[in-house]
Order: sequence, then structure tokens, then C-alpha cells
Amino acid sequence: MVGLDGVPHSMITRFMATGVMPNLRDIAARGRITEMTVTLPEISSVSWSSFMTGKNPGVHGIFGFTDLHDGTYKQSFPSFRELRSETMWDRLGEEKMRSVVINQPATYPARPIHGVLVSGFVAVHLERSVFPAQYLRTLRDIDYQIDVDAEEVRNDPPALFRALGQLLDCRRRLLDALWDEEKWNLMEIVVTGTDRLHHFLFDAYEDESHPHHGDFLDYYRRVDELVGYVHGKFASLGYEKNFFVLSDHGFCRTKKEVFVNAVLSELGYLRFTKPGSKSLEDISENAVAFALDPGRIYIHRRGRYPRGSVSESEVEKLKTELTSVFEAMTDGDQPVIRRVFDGNEVYSGPQASRAPDLLLVSEHGYDLKGRVAADTAFGERRLQGMHTWDDAFFVTLRTDLMPDKDEFNLLDVPPQILRSLDVQPGNPSEPKSC
Amino acid sequence: MNGFTLWFTGLPCSGKSTLAKRVEEILLERGMNVEVLDGDEVRKNLTKGLGYSKEDRDTNIRRIGWVCKLLSRNGAVAIAAAISPYAEIRNEVRASVDRFVEVYVKAELDSLVERDVKGMYKKAIAGEIKNFTGVDDPYEPPEKPEVLVDTDKETVEESTDKIIRTLEMLGYVPTVEGGNEYSPEEEEEIKTRLQDLGYI
Repeated sequence: MVGLDGVPHSMITRFMATGVMPNLRDIAARGRITEMTVTLPEISSVSWSSFMTGKNPGVHGIFGFTDLHDGTYKQSFPSFRELRSETMWDRLGEEKMRSVVINQPATYPARPIHGVLVSGFVAVHLERSVFPAQYLRTLRDIDYQIDVDAEEVRNDPPALFRALGQLLDCRRRLLDALWDEEKWNLMEIVVTGTDRLHHFLFDAYEDESHPHHGDFLDYYRRVDELVGYVHGKFASLGYEKNFFVLSDHGFCRTKKEVFVNAVLSELGYLRFTKPGSKSLEDISENAVAFALDPGRIYIHRRGRYPRGSVSESEVEKLKTELTSVFEAMTDGDQPVIRRVFDGNEVYSGPQASRAPDLLLVSEHGYDLKGRVAADTAFGERRLQGMHTWDDAFFVTLRTDLMPDKDEFNLLDVPPQILRSLDVQPGNPSEPKSC
Repeated sequence: MNGFTLWFTGLPCSGKSTLAKRVEEILLERGMNVEVLDGDEVRKNLTKGLGYSKEDRDTNIRRIGWVCKLLSRNGAVAIAAAISPYAEIRNEVRASVDRFVEVYVKAELDSLVERDVKGMYKKAIAGEIKNFTGVDDPYEPPEKPEVLVDTDKETVEESTDKIIRTLEMLGYVPTVEGGNEYSPEEEEEIKTRLQDLGYI
């Protein structure tokens, strides 16, 4: 399985059609490429957690890069340890099958799996990014890097492309090292440089006159080389049909940033104890709603939050009111919000009580933010590209395993990967509450 | 603090005592009160004099279960590591303890004969020991254990992690540092990275 973080279906099909990605084109031609939506919200930590568990966030419990510590307003950064559901690697382990997983986002700190796990974003220290620890030496020997230094390269395109190339090289070196060293049933490698490139230079993709348009295409030629390389190695083992390529969300050009908490403040739904506060820790007991990144809205419920004032009987009315507010939001004559989801509609499972009450999905170009400090609803874009809920993609050669339907979601993928190994999804040792 | 009973069941030499010891260490580090009732140790005191007939085995398990019940209802974690071959008695114990977590320590007989750390399998196969579970006495595997660990394929670390994660998922064991595994320095670094990519 090759993961391409943040690569849209619309882009990949264009690159396949125009000869930038001939390897992927040839693979897809013998199977199927499909567009899909992902789980909500459409960010990597949530999407990859959904992918690795095959469950919605109401079960796996990861709702964003950030959350609040229980019973407080203090920001927390959920780690892999807080994933509340078993992964497909655990499931395969129960069938005595080994997985080798390279650069998987949302798995830091690495924990034991039946095989090898090398964590991806937001991994900080290499020492805590690898299981089993014996492979730390391998990572160091091959000069393995976790990610680009975003601060260093975001405004320096030549440095960005150099760093992205180095990342691809070291992922490949690790793949080579583990391919023969390990006995494995599932090999997984995720390319995350694609997401970084899109954040910093998505304009270079769309604008053919952009000075780095050629570099953008060259990078994708190298990504395609990696896809072809992995597929070629795999095919040489005689199993080439069980080959999958997918992205975890789509991407588009950012027009503006939209500050959800500023909208809530302006309309009196969100109030603070201190004027001009920059932290939810100063939320007032008169506040009835607040947002976390990107567009997760939480009702300030009594009993759930220390200063929560909204009773359960008022929640539904408030949700309806807020839904109307955001559905009607415009930027000039442009609608800003494409759809408002009720949390109950998209999440189910033992963790659903921790889920946001409403989820905003924006029109392409309007990048939703949960920042508290913003004064106005709209702000200038700081980055060139933003994630989308739709326009992710999935390539499979096992068309026989595709569900018989027209619209696909990321959650349709993991069962197919397990079934390709003759393993049924579901886990007998998972606690009954899950 | 709410107690619970963690019950390891499996064939002789499958790894019950090793895993019980490792889980005990982790729970002690997390500030819990833990007692391990290891089958071999228990037979030297609490159930001294009992043999290996079905009746004696059932009595052995009932007594261990009774102590587990007392410990766990008083806020301690009771860890039992006993072959406990019969499903009916295990289920009887389960019914008597409020918070009961069964861990099936699975291993194939062939590999257990190979391990045979105490040389018991060899003797049982040679007929020198009678009523040896897995050889001439039955073992009834649990149908729905809360955790299944396969010690043929998993390392002690992998199996332990699976057990601890399940206990965390059930809410019986507090997660590390109140639910966050990052050091303050890591948390700061992660925050910076998320800001650099516009996520927060």
C-alpha cells in the first residue's frame, strides 16, 4: 500500500493523463481509480486514524490534531496512545501476519505492532518513532528523516524541493532495508511530502506560468517513480494484484482563511471573561459554543465543561440555530459553507460523546480555522493550499473487492486491504464497548 | 480507585506468569495497588494440598477467584495467572467479580513442548506425570476473552502493550500523564509544527 498524503483525485488523474505519472496510470489502467470522501474533519491525523482502524472517529476517538483535556479548556495534542481502537496491523497480527509500516502519520510515539512501525507526522524524536527499537540503528545508518523543517523551507522553494527529494530518497532506502530484512504480509509506505508541497506551493500546480510549476511536476515524476518502484518490487514477488494507492484527503487552493470562533464571537455565541482573550481557558460561562480546528463546533454544555451553561434540553435548538447561521454565511455573493453536519449524523461509537456537535465543511478555497485570537471572520491566506473533504482518491487492482456502490469513502478501503489478505475485518479481542 | 481482576488463562508455559509480572510492573508505576496470584505460588499456600483432579482444579480456581473478588472490590488490582482449564469455572469467577478482564494466553502445543521451561511436557508425554493440561487433561479455550495474546508470535512487549491498551480502553487503568504521552518539549515542538503547516 502506498499512501500519498493530501493528493487530490483531480490532480492525480490529470497527471496520469498528461504523462507526469505514467506508472500510476498503467497500474490504474489494469484496475480502477476512484474518487472518495474522507472522514470528518478532513485532516491527516483523523483520516489516517480512520484508515488504520477502519472505524469512524466516534470509535477511534481522534477528532483532530488538537482537543481539550477532559474537564478543562486546556489544549491537548492527542497521541497514538489515545487511539481507542485496534489497527489493521493488530488485526493482521492476530492472524499471525506481519506488517511493515513506514512513515505512517498519527502513530507517534510508536508502539508495538506485529512487525515494524516507523511513525510519521507529528513524530518528533527518531528514538520514539520506531518499533522495534533495534531498527533505530538502521534509520540512523540510512540518514532517515521524519519530515521537512517547515519553518526553514516554507518561503524558500528551492530548499523545499531539495528537502522533499531527500525525504523521498530516505523513505526508499528504508523500504529497501526492510523489504528483505523482514518477513511481511503487509508493506505500507506513506509519502507526506506531497501534503507539504501543496500547503506551501499549491499555486505552482494551478498556474502553469508559476516559476516553480516545472519543479512541482518534477516532484510528482519522482513520486511516480517511487510508486512504480514499489509496484515493480512487489510484482516480482508474484503478488502484484494486492497493490493499493490512496490519499487521505483532497487539496485545493486557499482563497481566504475563515475564523469560526470570530463568527461565533461576533454573534454573541462565544464570550470571554477577559476582553481580547487569545485562549479558550478564558471562556465565559455566558458562552454557548466554541470551535476547535478546523471547523469543529462544540456546544458549551453544562456538566461537560467546567463553565458550561447550556442544558441538554437547549442543545438541539442551538444546533439548529448555528446550522442556519453558517449555512447562510457568505463572502460577498459567494457561499462559504458547503454543508453543516450534525455530529450525531457522522459519528457513532463509544467515543461519540466526545465528538463535536457540528462540523462545518467549507466551499473549496475557504480554509476554516479555530483560532481564538482572530478579530474578523475572514483573513488573508497564510498558506497556498488547504485540505478538502472530497476529492481524495483510491487506486486498486483488486476490483473484485470494491463494494458495489457509486460513492466511496476512505472507510471503504481498509476492509478491502484486509480481505485481499483473506482476513475478515473486525477483531475478537477488541473490548465489547468498542 | 476502582479495582478489577485481570485473569490470565492458558496452557502451562504459555507465558501467563511472565506477562502477569510485566503488567504488574506497569500498573505499579501508574500508582495502582496490585497483587499477583500466580498459580504455582498459590498452590504452595492458599490451595496447598489440592491435586490435579477436575474437582481439585475447580476448587483451586474458585479459591483464587474468591481472593480476587475481595481484592478488587477493595480497590486493588488482582492479577491471577493460572492455567484455569475449565470454561465453566472461569465463567463462574467472572460472574462473581464486578470488573473482570480475561486474557487468553494462546500458544500452540508444539511450541510449548519446544519451550518446556520446566521440563514438564517431556515428562507428561512420557507418561511420568498424569493429568497434565494439554497432554492428557483438557484445556477449554475462552470463547470471548477481552484480550487474546499469541505468545508464539508476539513479543512480551507486544502482548503487554495489547493488555495495557485494552485496560485503558475499558477505563480501568489511567493513561500515562493524564492521557498525554508527550513531554512538554515535544508538545511545544508539535505545536510549532502544526502552526507552521497552518493547522492551528
